[in-house]
Amino acid sequence: MLDLRPDIEFKKELERISGAPLNTCMQCGTCSVVCNLSPDVKPFPRKEMVYAGWGMSDKLIGNPDVWLCHQCGDCSTHCPRGVNPADVLSATRQLTYRKYAMPLFMGKLLGKPGLLPIAILIPVLIIAGIIFAAGTLKIPEGPVNYSLFFPHAWLNASFSVITLLSYLLACFGFGRFWKDMNIHHSGTGPKMGLFRSFWGVKNDIFAHSRFKKCEENSSRKVSHFLVFYGFILLLLVTIFAIYAAITEKYPLALTNPFKIMGNLSSLMLFTGLGIMIYNRIVAKPGSERSTYTDWLLLGSMFLLTASGVIVEMARFLDWSLAYYLYFFHLVCVWFVIIYLPYTKFGHIIYRTIAMTYAFSGRRK
Amino acid sequence: MKPILVIGGGITGVTAAVELAETGKEVILIEKKSYLGGKVIQMHNYFPKLCPPACGMEINFRRIKNNSRITVMTHTELAAVSGKKGAFTVNLKTVSRYVNDLCTACGECVAICPVERPDSFNYNYGLTRAIYLPHPLAYPQRYEIDDNFCEGESCGKCVEICKYDAIDLNAKPLEKEIEVHSIIGATGWENYDASKISGLNYNKSLDIVTNVEFEILLSDKGPGEGKLVRPSDGKPPKSIAFVQCAGSRDENYLPYCSAVCCSASLKHALNIADMLPDTKVSIHYVDLRVTGRNEDFLRRVEETKNIELVKGKIARVDVDPESNVLYVEAENIAEGLKKKEAVDMVVLATGIVPTANIPGTIKNDDNFMLTNQQNGIYPAGCAKKPMDVSTSVKDGTAAALKAMGK
Amino acid sequence: MTKNIGIYICSGCQIGNSIDTNKLCDRMSGELNPVVMHSHKALCSPDGVNLIQKDIAEKNIDACLVAACGTGVKDDAFRFDNGVLTERVNIRELVAWSMDPLCEDTDMAADDYLRMGFAGLDSTSITTPFILDEISEEILVVGGGVSGLSAAIEGAEAGYRIHLIEKNERLGGWASKWKKQIPFDEPFEDLIDPVVTDLIKRVEENELITVYLKSGIEKIDGQPGEFVVKLNGSSIKVGSIVTAAGWRPYKPDSKDFYGLGVIPNVITSVELEEKVSAGKLPKVESVLFIQCAGSRDLEHLSYCSSICCGISLKQAKYYRDEHPDAIIYILYKDIRTIGFLEEFYKEVQDDPNIIFIKGEFETIQQTGDSVEVIVQDKLLGEQLTLNVEQVVLATGMVPNGTDDLKLGYRLGEGLPELKYEFPDSHFICFPYETRRTGIYAAGTVRAPMDIPSSMDDAGGAMLKAIQTIEASKRGEAVHPRSGDQSYPELYLERCTDCKRCTEECPFGTYDETSSGTPVVYPNRCRRCGICVGSCPERVISFADYSINIISEKIKAVNIPDEFDEKPRVLVFVCENDAMPALEMAAREKLSINPYVRVISVRCLGSINRVWISDALSHGFDGILQIGCKPGDNYQCHFIHGSELTEQRSEIMEETLSTMMLEPERIMTKFVEITDYKGIIDHIDEYMEEIELIGPNPFKDI
Repeated sequence: MLDLRPDIEFKKELERISGAPLNTCMQCGTCSVVCNLSPDVKPFPRKEMVYAGWGMSDKLIGNPDVWLCHQCGDCSTHCPRGVNPADVLSATRQLTYRKYAMPLFMGKLLGKPGLLPIAILIPVLIIAGIIFAAGTLKIPEGPVNYSLFFPHAWLNASFSVITLLSYLLACFGFGRFWKDMNIHHSGTGPKMGLFRSFWGVKNDIFAHSRFKKCEENSSRKVSHFLVFYGFILLLLVTIFAIYAAITEKYPLALTNPFKIMGNLSSLMLFTGLGIMIYNRIVAKPGSERSTYTDWLLLGSMFLLTASGVIVEMARFLDWSLAYYLYFFHLVCVWFVIIYLPYTKFGHIIYRTIAMTYAFSGRRK
Repeated sequence: MKPILVIGGGITGVTAAVELAETGKEVILIEKKSYLGGKVIQMHNYFPKLCPPACGMEINFRRIKNNSRITVMTHTELAAVSGKKGAFTVNLKTVSRYVNDLCTACGECVAICPVERPDSFNYNYGLTRAIYLPHPLAYPQRYEIDDNFCEGESCGKCVEICKYDAIDLNAKPLEKEIEVHSIIGATGWENYDASKISGLNYNKSLDIVTNVEFEILLSDKGPGEGKLVRPSDGKPPKSIAFVQCAGSRDENYLPYCSAVCCSASLKHALNIADMLPDTKVSIHYVDLRVTGRNEDFLRRVEETKNIELVKGKIARVDVDPESNVLYVEAENIAEGLKKKEAVDMVVLATGIVPTANIPGTIKNDDNFMLTNQQNGIYPAGCAKKPMDVSTSVKDGTAAALKAMGK
Repeated sequence: MTKNIGIYICSGCQIGNSIDTNKLCDRMSGELNPVVMHSHKALCSPDGVNLIQKDIAEKNIDACLVAACGTGVKDDAFRFDNGVLTERVNIRELVAWSMDPLCEDTDMAADDYLRMGFAGLDSTSITTPFILDEISEEILVVGGGVSGLSAAIEGAEAGYRIHLIEKNERLGGWASKWKKQIPFDEPFEDLIDPVVTDLIKRVEENELITVYLKSGIEKIDGQPGEFVVKLNGSSIKVGSIVTAAGWRPYKPDSKDFYGLGVIPNVITSVELEEKVSAGKLPKVESVLFIQCAGSRDLEHLSYCSSICCGISLKQAKYYRDEHPDAIIYILYKDIRTIGFLEEFYKEVQDDPNIIFIKGEFETIQQTGDSVEVIVQDKLLGEQLTLNVEQVVLATGMVPNGTDDLKLGYRLGEGLPELKYEFPDSHFICFPYETRRTGIYAAGTVRAPMDIPSSMDDAGGAMLKAIQTIEASKRGEAVHPRSGDQSYPELYLERCTDCKRCTEECPFGTYDETSSGTPVVYPNRCRRCGICVGSCPERVISFADYSINIISEKIKAVNIPDEFDEKPRVLVFVCENDAMPALEMAAREKLSINPYVRVISVRCLGSINRVWISDALSHGFDGILQIGCKPGDNYQCHFIHGSELTEQRSEIMEETLSTMMLEPERIMTKFVEITDYKGIIDHIDEYMEEIELIGPNPFKDI
């Protein structure tokens, strides 16, 4: 027995973000059929369109199927009513970041374009504060040396702590997400163990095997693959850089394998992001809707990568603006890494959780 | 009063013409094909009575034959129109099909004609000779020549054998300018081109047919000659899936509902149950749209063995090129299951596309003629909106009254 | 009256390959002794037609027997001036094309068909039409709703004087109680003002329309061209009638109907409409529309009321336009917005506050201030609980019926109904054909329909009404034997007042005097001849279709004696379906058994037992009657001709038993017009059966 109490505000918000005329859906099921990712039993996104149309926010948000969707857009292309289910699921994911944000205002802060200045101001002030505390808040003289501006120990320590704090808090949200899925979509069969379930979805994550099934936007797989691995490599390089900074070998020589790897991964990121941006602007502007959340992540990642490269060049070329660029770069790092649970970047966590959850219920 | 021009010899136009003439008005009925009866005469039977269209049509033809106030002009189209109600000048263009009205429909010419052509009346199932009678009950009963296939005077065998001087291979098109009181546009429809619908693979298998083609397969003009068989191998199909809204109610193709396809498929299901009671039939629909008393018809289908009505549209039809097995994929919404099922045949319930081509008329985005035309021009039937036979008859009759007003 | 008969035999169209027409001429000219007899190689050619016309002019031929192709082919060539009777004998399809060429049996068949044609022609008289002295060209429209108003306007615009009667105090009907209506055309965005206001204005301004308010019919007598309508003490004469008596909302008998009458906040869609018009739309936060409340339900209305989907969508808009926060639920089985109404559906769908649920209603109960409805949903497969403040039932429409016409007809006061009180007969091909000539139903009394459809429907019905007047001016029948000028003539001296004709006529042509003698109204007649078949005393005849004509044809057949082993079977075929099917069989080169002799009848119902006894005593070995399908899905153009044949089989068996003959000597089969293979099978099977029974003992007498 389901007590139907439609949350019209949620429905309107969903319509606003997705731009999809939710109600125009006539429940034909075309979307479920054309989706190659959708399972045979209780397939999506047809039933999600019911939840959406009925304003059932809990059923929709606490729903692992929303994350099995990789937004290929096949459903939207074939939808006879022009409803664009792919965008509805995408909008649902955005509302998920917002709902489980911990603290809650972080979700709003990064979900609404009007609050962007504040979202920028926060890292600017905090970073400036830390540098001030370190006593280096002035542009150093002589050849560019970033550690003169922001001592590495201060940088590494403060960023690590803040990141850790942000992620720890976020974990409460992730937990609630898991719990909600259990309430609203537990299914009937016995659940598999957590590790076994995660092991089960590793190919989907690391080999992008679900992505391969997209028909409509096949280039998504390539671009996501490049960004995904570019980012992971860069993360490894960064960790090594922190290690190097501690062991006083920093900055690294250009011929250092890690440095080479770093530059290579930047290239991968650039290419991947370039394709993504191109696809959103030029190639298929109609097939998927680009929202603020999409642009926020794409933009911050792009600026992060770009500023990283420029900052590196500025050091070699001794640019006078190097320190300002370095500061900007750090703000970008903040946006991508520290804000991660509250932005679209959070999908790496939510999707992993949801896919694992789905797998644990033997839903493929 | 000048005669009233009725354009289109389908059920709507024929009805309008007959009703007008019997009310005492002079009528000119023009039809671009060689025979009257339009789309319905190609149908195997009507829903919900499962009776042959020829039955009512024959009565209408008799009413035309017995009424000297109707002039029927086949192979004729309206080329131009000017003027206003009470005094329209219309230009009628008649192309020749090389057989005049001295033809007695004896059929000797057919026996001697050396060339064959696909039988367009039967949606290209089967062949006729280049000189042919469109169909056995054709009115007028007169042969015609398909000049895409006829070898012309170099052959001339039919001319030689015809004892009635009915064949003239040099006949030229005629143009005629006449004055008419008003015009009824009953230009009718054709079914939506199924090959445009992605995912249904209409062109990939002979066993994926449209609903209008299926009418022929049911009839004795089909490849099974009265027995329902698969076009590809001539065997009786053991399972048939119907794809409702194949094109209709779809922004990518036809945004409107074509009004008749649900009833047509229900009818087909009963036809199948009658001919092949063990054959499994599934009709995959979005909404079952049968109104009024046809609800009884729906109930009859629901009670018939081996017919399954499934809410959930078939979005994909795949063909296994090796085995020629067809796979249909739909979500069975009642069960919440996405299913891919192998079937022997697939029928696409394609919708109604208007063929309105009357110069100077106002149409909507989907090419249907709007009702508010220039005074004196009255669209009727499927030229106006999608409708079934009964509604077309009603519409033709209603248009007749408007057309005879001052 | 003796006729100057000319016989013309065609040898064209391969007839000559099968039948030696010159020999046929030789055989028959001696026997039949016509004024002239010719064989021609192409009778329909200008040369052939000239030949006949020359004879008509020079030899005073006033009756032509054309032995060539059948009716339906070359009709124009063989239509001669008034005063010249023409009988077509179809030796092309029924003999030459379907029997073995140049053999004795084929010749015998050709001979017999010529004899039959000749006998029939000889006993046929010239038809003089029945035309009333005074024909009223005014039309009665019953009902002042959308359909009635539209019919009146359209009739008046065509130039006919209209009498519009309405039982209520004002015109407009139900539609005038609605605040708004669904748009007709694009764009489908906003509801429009009811068109009925404009219709009323146009009716009131039209000089040709007389409106009678608060008026009911006391009685209608007469026939097309001269109906006498008594109302409110006065009486008017009209030529034809359109009834647009409309509909009423469905009211269930049972108490247990979606909580209606039990739970205060459950109302019907009509009640809601009335509240809206009175400006009293309840201010509620949540409303549930239950579709098909009564319709599509075997316990209530088994049909779909067609309009409720649109109505509820419209009413949802009423609420939404007034209350920006109200949540509207629509519980449906199927959304049936056919054709362009789909656009309106999409428009309403676009509102996020409207929730569409496909499902089945289960229970309803009052819980505190709200109503709790439990629904089995068909989209997720869940059982849903809905708590709403208001429930609106889309209850559907019931036709008002036509008994208020108070027809003074022997067969009842209203129009006969086929099903669910809707007065129609051939609702696919000929939707306006009621069974009372000159009286046509329009709008929701005929079938459930919405406002635009009712307006169109009114036009169609009005045209039919006008047509009846025009046809009665020419003394012609209307559908399906349109143009037929013959009519039933009764030789009452022999009538026994048995009332069979008055009861069996599908069209109510006959009333009765107090003693039971039939009174015929020729303009009500549709010329099916069922009365000819019904009359045991051979009282009723048409100038060109009578007991005598067919009897003469039957007796004209030469019956070989028993030892020739050439049985003879008489096949009566209905001219509407069986005859075209048989001709089609011949065109498709199937063979027709050469021992059968075919007679085309207007309807199987017109077969009189006298013909049966005549045929059997003449020596026919059996009689096969082939007609259209009877039953619920009947295809008989005269409604129940085939059914009557089945009912009369008892009488026929009695005839056989008095003659001491086997009941199998008469058999009835039904075919569809396209079933040309079936008709041949029926004949062949029957011939086998007759072979088994053996020859008719009357043969030798």
